[in-house]
Order: sequence, then C-alpha cells, then structure tokens
Amino acid sequence: MAEAPPDATRIAADARDRVRFEEEALALSDQVYRVARHLAGSREEAEDLVQETYARALSAAHQFTPGTNLKAWLFRILRNTFVSQYRHERHNPTRGGLDTVDPNAQGAAPEQWLRGDLELDRLRKVVGEEIERALTSLSEEARTVILLDLEGLTEVEVAQVVGCAVGTVKSRLARARAALREQLRDYQR
Amino acid sequence: MTCEDAQSLLLDAQRGRLAVEARARLDAHVRTCARCTHEVAAEQLLSEALEARLPQHAAPVALKRRLAAAWPDPAAPARPSIRGRRWFVPALAVAAMLLLALPLYYPRASDRSTVMVAEAVNDHLRVLTSQHPLDIESGGMHQVKPWFEGRLDFAPVVRFLGDQDYPLQGGAIGYYLDRKAAVFVFHRRLHVISLLVFPAEGLPWPRGDLRRLGRADAYVSASRGFNLVLWREGELGYALVSDVEAPELIGLAAKLAPAS
Repeated sequence: MAEAPPDATRIAADARDRVRFEEEALALSDQVYRVARHLAGSREEAEDLVQETYARALSAAHQFTPGTNLKAWLFRILRNTFVSQYRHERHNPTRGGLDTVDPNAQGAAPEQWLRGDLELDRLRKVVGEEIERALTSLSEEARTVILLDLEGLTEVEVAQVVGCAVGTVKSRLARARAALREQLRDYQR
Repeated sequence: MTCEDAQSLLLDAQRGRLAVEARARLDAHVRTCARCTHEVAAEQLLSEALEARLPQHAAPVALKRRLAAAWPDPAAPARPSIRGRRWFVPALAVAAMLLLALPLYYPRASDRSTVMVAEAVNDHLRVLTSQHPLDIESGGMHQVKPWFEGRLDFAPVVRFLGDQDYPLQGGAIGYYLDRKAAVFVFHRRLHVISLLVFPAEGLPWPRGDLRRLGRADAYVSASRGFNLVLWREGELGYALVSDVEAPELIGLAAKLAPAS
C-alpha cells in the first residue's frame, strides 16, 4: 500500500482529534448540566447556561490541547459563562467572599461539638431536597468548589477552573463545607 | 498537632491524599481529641450525603439533541482545523449517535450498583431502627395502597398483597437517594422485609449480573449482612431488602415482579 502523503496524515490526525474532542465533550454534558443546574438553580437557566457553554467551547475548540483535561476545561468555560452572564441577573445570596472569612471560623466551635451528636444524627438523616436547598443558599464561590470537588476534580484542577491558587482552593473548600454544615444544622433547630 | 492543623488535613485524609507519616500523626491526634473525632465523623457523613443524596440532575434528552445538532455552529469563524471539515460531518454523526446511546447518569467514581445497594440497605436499617417505622398499619394492601394517594407524586404499583408466608405489616413514606419512595414492610417469620418503590428515571441502575425475574431483569446482591433484589418495571424502581435467606427474598421478589 502506498504511504499517505504527510499532509493527508496531518489532516487525518486533526480529524481524529476533532472526533475525540466532540465525543468526549458531548459525553460530559450530564456532568456539565449537573453543575450548571446547581449553579443556576432552575432547569431553564441551566439549559441556557449549558448551551452557551458548549457554543463557547466550540468556538474555542482550537485552543484546547488534546490530551489535557477536557472536563476541567469545560467547567472553566461554564463557570466563566455563569459569572459573566448570569450572576448579575439573579438574586444571589452571596454572603461575602469565602477568602475573607475568619480562618478560625473553620470547624465546630468548642461549645458546638459538645452538641455534636445532634449534628451527626442530622447528617445521617438529611434528605436530598434539604441538601440541595442548603447548597443553593451558599455563595456562588462556595457552591462552585463543592460541586467541582464532588465531580472528582483535584484541587489543582479546581484552581485552574476558578483561577486561583491551590492553597486558596483548599481553604475555600473547607470553609464552604463548614458553611454547608452550618446550613444543615439550622434545619434541625 | 493542634486541632486547627488536624482539621486542615481531614479532607486530604478522607480522599487518601495524606502521606503515611502525616496520616499517622493525624490519627494519633484524633484518637485523643473529642472535637476532632466529631469533625472526622461529620465530614465523612457530609461527603456521603453529598455523593449519595444530593439530587443528580441529568441533562434532558432534548438538550443533548440540541447540543449535538448545534455542533458545529455555522456562525463560528473559520479555524485552522477547518481543513478537516470533510471528516467533520461523519464525525459529528458518530458523536451524536454516541451521545444518544449514552446513559443519563454518570456516577462519580464508585461502581454503578454500589450507590443503589447502599441506599436500599440504609433505608431498610431506618425501618429496623425506627420506633415508629409505619405510617399506616396494615389492614391489607387495599388499605395501605390508597393511603399513599396525595402523599407521593407517583402511584406505587404492588402486585402482591401479602399472604400467610409473607404478611404485609404496613407502609410509610421514605426517601430513596434524591426522591420520595413508598415503603412497604412485609414479614417472613420474625424477619422484616422492606420493599421500596420509587421513580426509576435517572438512577445508576446496575447493568451486569442481571437475572430474569418474570418479565423483569433483577439485580441480586448482598451488603452488610442483608440480601437485596433490585429491579425496574416501566417508570418505577423496586428494592427489596432483608436479612432472610436469598432464595426466600427472591421468592417474594418473584411474587412482586411482573409475571412472564
């Protein structure tokens, strides 16, 4: 068989990358939608957000490097789209940036852990609707780090998505989880 | 190690990202500190709640179709990879076909069946440990089933009404992962058997190791000393859990599943 000319080989390689990119990007639509739904809050807004995310991803497809983390790349576009287009349009119960929270506020205060059995019992019994409501009540920053962590992204990948230092992700995640626990504690009072 | 140091390491420890020495120092501190012991338990429970019970919204099929149809965007500017356009149309067709064949739910890292099995056993344990497990005591299935009307957004279909071997004790409203469930409690001698009925859509149903049960494909498993049978029929899912022997539980499942 005659050897393919170099140009044809390059075109074929480009096409394979392109197919892989599209297959993988579309296969991630459930995960992208899942995060979008918890960020945007409603099905309609989440669908709009995901469509806009994929439109932007397609436009920027040539900037994606094959072999790198496509999921983190899509989440970064999703998050940027949400922040730029949706955040200002919605009433968002952000209660101050997580990075400005008193570091000593992390974890249970001494008088709280003495009531710890109540919290553990509450966490065992909490149902999906309550977790979703508590998550929705958190700031966009807090929800984002919790959701990305839940989707299995490493701290390095989360840092790439939200554009901050890895150490900041670690502290944001800890404070976001503490805030979520606080919200869930509120439901038992 | 201070409590603040320990708490900054808890998530890393939970994810298995701590070096052996650091893990040993953390464990040594936690063993002697009630506050951090509580923190370890609370963080673990929070992770379990998020992973197993936070509603997992799957992308609507209509949205997936729109995404597949929208690629490539005809308004998008030409890119260097446009050279591959003659490959692009068949590639997109392949991608769209794959998309429509994909499941609606992608579990994070755990095995697909693990989440459903663990939740069914947890629900059964709630029945066993609750002081008042039944919202409606049985006067027979014809009394129990109507009780659910208005309390659920679906009508539980239960074919078996109970008999002398498997008497129906009653029913209750419960939760299965992110959704409400009808809980029916049967007895087998002194054993309690829980039947959960819930909307089946969007759950990570097991795909392998299925056995035929009437017209349904059932997944039979065991976890934490309990036997379990999972199956779906149309829009409804069923989980049957008990510590009775597997053949006896499968026998009851056969009475509940649609006849072949």
